[in-house]
Amino acid sequence: MKFDFIYTLDALPRLLEGSLVTLKLALLGFAFSVVLATLVTVARTASKSRILSIAVAVYISFIRGTPLLVQIFLVFYVLPIVGLNIGPVTAGILALTLNSAAFVIEILRGGLASVPKGQFEAARSLGLSGYALWVKVVLPQTFMSSIPPLVNEFTQLLKATALLSTITVVELMRVSQQIYSNNYHPIEVLTGAFVMYFLMCFAVSRGASWLESEFEVKRA
Amino acid sequence: MAMDTGKMSNFLEMTGLVKTFTGATALQDVSLNVAKGEVVCLIGPSGCGKSTLLRTANWLTPADAGEVRLDGELVGTMPDQRSASKQAKGLNAVRARIGMVFQNFNVWPHLNVLENVVCPQMVVAKRSRNEAEKKALVALSEVGLEDKKSEWPDNLSGGQKQRLAIARVLAMDPDLMLLDEPTSALDPELVSGVLAVLKRLAEKNMTMIIVTHELGFASSVADRIVFLEGGHIIEQGPPDVILQSPATERLKLFLDKLNITAFQPKSD
Ligand SMILES: Nc1ncnc2c1ncn2[C@@H]1O[C@H](COP(=O)(O)OP(=O)(O)O)[C@@H](O)[C@H]1O
Ligand SMILES: [Mg+2]
Repeated sequence: MKFDFIYTLDALPRLLEGSLVTLKLALLGFAFSVVLATLVTVARTASKSRILSIAVAVYISFIRGTPLLVQIFLVFYVLPIVGLNIGPVTAGILALTLNSAAFVIEILRGGLASVPKGQFEAARSLGLSGYALWVKVVLPQTFMSSIPPLVNEFTQLLKATALLSTITVVELMRVSQQIYSNNYHPIEVLTGAFVMYFLMCFAVSRGASWLESEFEVKRA
Repeated sequence: MAMDTGKMSNFLEMTGLVKTFTGATALQDVSLNVAKGEVVCLIGPSGCGKSTLLRTANWLTPADAGEVRLDGELVGTMPDQRSASKQAKGLNAVRARIGMVFQNFNVWPHLNVLENVVCPQMVVAKRSRNEAEKKALVALSEVGLEDKKSEWPDNLSGGQKQRLAIARVLAMDPDLMLLDEPTSALDPELVSGVLAVLKRLAEKNMTMIIVTHELGFASSVADRIVFLEGGHIIEQGPPDVILQSPATERLKLFLDKLNITAFQPKSD
């Protein structure tokens, strides 16, 4: 078998464009998921509501107990039926958000558990409560101790965007498919996509550990 | 300063406080009044309800029955007829006037020294950043931490963390300070620095309730020592009376035990 590098090179500009779309999808999905998960975490903890707590637990086990691909298809096909005519991109981001939120809720639960009770008490005793208590004292500490698993979740999400090719979202994987269905050189083109995915994930995790060490230095 | 059992003193009024935890009664109908400028030290064996009593004073631990008032203003009561939002609002306002210092410092690790002191001033007391920073620097210099203002709490010693916690409270201009074993988590050589700060506050007539096992310190700063056991106030009075001539057998036993445990007599 002959590997002709020229096909990879030829595909590169479009693969780069596809990578940008992939990155955007991952960033948006992750941002929405973190916001959603944070709201759920605060609501669940602050309200101490058993019903909410059970609902969240059920949601998490549904998400974890089913394939992401099925979740994506469900969102894509169900929403138009209930009258929401959102395109594949929005449906894809929504599916990623709903999926990722389940994992981020679990991550934040761990981060929140690592915030000592005394941190809440000191804040309350000074007159902080509600929004100020969470935003000024509790959430910063929750997120700080959640950085490594959150970065990991982001790279998972970034790789999962490839599944959105199945609902016609033109991201890196779909672009690759389009290219090799024209030039019949899937190996060269997919190798290009492979490297792109790897570089993005690598950059994210390296960047995160660099940021973390910078932060340690700043605090030392 | 009020030296008596506090009937005429009514700055902080704690009346008929009862608190039961599952399996343990922490407070059994405790009443304690503290006058403005008075320093009260709470002593008693472990588990006798000292922390619980202190924490009902700012309603961090809501009592099952009884009432707490500061300067006539309701801190907390049970049962409470007010709506939940009214309770929360009133509580935050009155808590801003009551500073609490914990055994484990509870400084905020995500904020540097200066920001620890600035944050509650801006958020709760609604001061401008400028004003809050000025106040913070004054408070930090009162506890001897002015040169640490850009440091992170993780890099402070236990004694410095506790002094930071005190500065955070002081910057709010509290009318009352509650201190729960402020030196118990400290290495011995760091204790005196914190106690010196508290002594200066006492000399400036700060109203304080201090839970402590440092009897030497208590006898030098307290206007009144209150001895608790089993969720009851057993005995209270001026330090020399309480420490030299205890009236009850239980206090005698407690003091004997402490004196045996104390390796050497405490100076100052
Ligand atoms: N949050 C809590 N949950 C259950 N029991 C508690 C709690 N806080 C205190 N207690 C119990 O109440 C009693 C008084 O405790 P505490 O006020 O902490 O005593 P002290 O500070 O004098 O050592 C103890 O028996 C203790 O076990
Ligand atoms: Mg205690």
